[in-house]
Amino acid sequence: MAMTTEGNSAQRPTSSRFTIEAKSPFMLQVRAWWPPVLWSIVLLIIVAIIMLAGGPVLQKTLTDALIKLLVVVGLYVFIGNSGILSFGHIGFMMIGAYGAAWMTCCPRTKKLFIPGLPEYLQTHQFPFLVSVVVSGLLAAVVALISGSVLMRLSGIAASIGTFAFLMVMYSFYLRWDPWTRGASTMTGLPVETNSWVMLPFIVVVMFGAFLYARSRYGLSAKASRDDEVASKAAGVNVVGQRLLSFVISAFIVGMAGALFGHFLGILTVDSFGLPLTFITLSMLVVGGMQSLSGAVLGSIVISALFEALRQLEVGFNVGESVIALPGGGREVGIGILMLIILIFRRNGLTANQEIYWPFRGDAAAKTAMSRKS
Amino acid sequence: MLKRKTDSRAAQGHRDDGLTLQAVDVTVRFGGLTAVDTVNETLHRGEILGVIGPNGAGKTTFVNALTGFQEPTSGQVKLGQKVISGLSPHWIRRHGVSRSFQAGRLFRDLPVSENVEVAGVSMGLSRRRAHRHAMELIEWIGLKEKARQPAGVLPYTDERRVGIARALAMQPAFVLLDEPAAGMSDLECDDIMRLVKEIPERFGCGVLLIEHNMRVIMGVCERIHVLDSGKTLSRGTPAEVQKDPAVIQAYLGHG
Repeated sequence: MAMTTEGNSAQRPTSSRFTIEAKSPFMLQVRAWWPPVLWSIVLLIIVAIIMLAGGPVLQKTLTDALIKLLVVVGLYVFIGNSGILSFGHIGFMMIGAYGAAWMTCCPRTKKLFIPGLPEYLQTHQFPFLVSVVVSGLLAAVVALISGSVLMRLSGIAASIGTFAFLMVMYSFYLRWDPWTRGASTMTGLPVETNSWVMLPFIVVVMFGAFLYARSRYGLSAKASRDDEVASKAAGVNVVGQRLLSFVISAFIVGMAGALFGHFLGILTVDSFGLPLTFITLSMLVVGGMQSLSGAVLGSIVISALFEALRQLEVGFNVGESVIALPGGGREVGIGILMLIILIFRRNGLTANQEIYWPFRGDAAAKTAMSRKS
Repeated sequence: MLKRKTDSRAAQGHRDDGLTLQAVDVTVRFGGLTAVDTVNETLHRGEILGVIGPNGAGKTTFVNALTGFQEPTSGQVKLGQKVISGLSPHWIRRHGVSRSFQAGRLFRDLPVSENVEVAGVSMGLSRRRAHRHAMELIEWIGLKEKARQPAGVLPYTDERRVGIARALAMQPAFVLLDEPAAGMSDLECDDIMRLVKEIPERFGCGVLLIEHNMRVIMGVCERIHVLDSGKTLSRGTPAEVQKDPAVIQAYLGHG
């Protein structure tokens, strides 16, 4: 259970010599919900520091990282609980992003560029929050339909199925000119997303994901993850439970897609392909697939490394000469670091565990902590 | 059919509702191989039925057919009057026919308590109530101290006990135990025997017990069904079966 967090966020002692007895009902709740509480605080601090002290480029980088973090938490809800690796979730992100474009671009732009939209969407413009939530729902509906077929598969077949789903959605959106402008860039989404906007979405989603993982539905899904046959013998409707986690995670990833659209203001289909699929998956794997803490920590670590390597690629001056990583060194570096992490911590940085209340001392704390995600 | 056990101590009010689990001419073929060949059997609540036979006799396939993991090629499985063959395993489990597995098959990354809890929540209990129910069963199998350990680190014998507890969660009408004592020492076998013997009275279930260990079978079963190459070879009380020349030839061989 003991583990390291980002340097700038370690406000707690790592040993349990220091104990806080939780007596009030409020503190008991804080302790029961510690993983999302902890990560909310950590992210709040990171966002506050960079938004108040960082430059505009760094602020943009942070928002981009937070969008990926939201995607990774969405991935965790499905992959961590059902045990099926999904290569298809970036498809849901794309569905969410284009959904946001359909709802929020100004009617004049829509008429000009995406004439295929139905009359109602064509002439109306919806507020940001509605756009994000409805785009998430749209992705969830697509997940419900595609998942009712895909979730009947198991193991690697299911993973390949989700990959096929991504390919289908990608090709479809690339050629669906009247709705998506095909290979051209979709422009005109209102730019609303920044790191402060991302924060509440992430916090709510983290609490939701944690609640799901601890619920009876999460437990049933995890049972099917550990042993599909035995879970059926324990009465678990495996297809149904997988489908539920698939739909919830698609909702989250769809929202992340909409937020991404409102971040850049422009969309192209090819930003939702394999590179984004693999970077988000590697964040989850590095952190630890089976815990919320793993999803969040993995995103933070990989994003921070990526940014650091990018700085190195730009180079820095030593006297007269510029020392820089060769182009593409970033990807190579991330690959090597991931290998190192996975060799030494096969189950990710968090070893698939949640990070629980560290100030334990009484019996109640132990009960709260015994619930492994 | 075999006479109904009348002195069953499990006749505790509503529990003994005369429900039966019935195999009617159950046949399972895999390609050219007939694993189970027109087997008939009726399991009543409150009794312990032993199913024995040499390796490859079709015992596990028979259990698979009874619990929905294998659809019979022909024949039917009936729970009371309802034909359940062809229905999904989780439906059958929720309606009272439960099983354990030869290999244990625990949820390795989940704590022992949650292994048992899964059955409760999948049948509609809240986590809190499922947990309480699971803890009662875990206390019964004597693993209260290990309830919070991940199931993957348990020793072999404990694993089997958790498998039995999981199968008994939510009071199924029938529980089918697939070699719960396989590979255990005599002492450990005695422990498992004690648990299995308690099941009818404590939970009101009918028990079908597959076992290789003749000591266990003869010690706990009231009736025995002997399978050989998928066919019924002999049925009766332990004493009758032990005397049956066909059984001695096929199974006890050297005996």
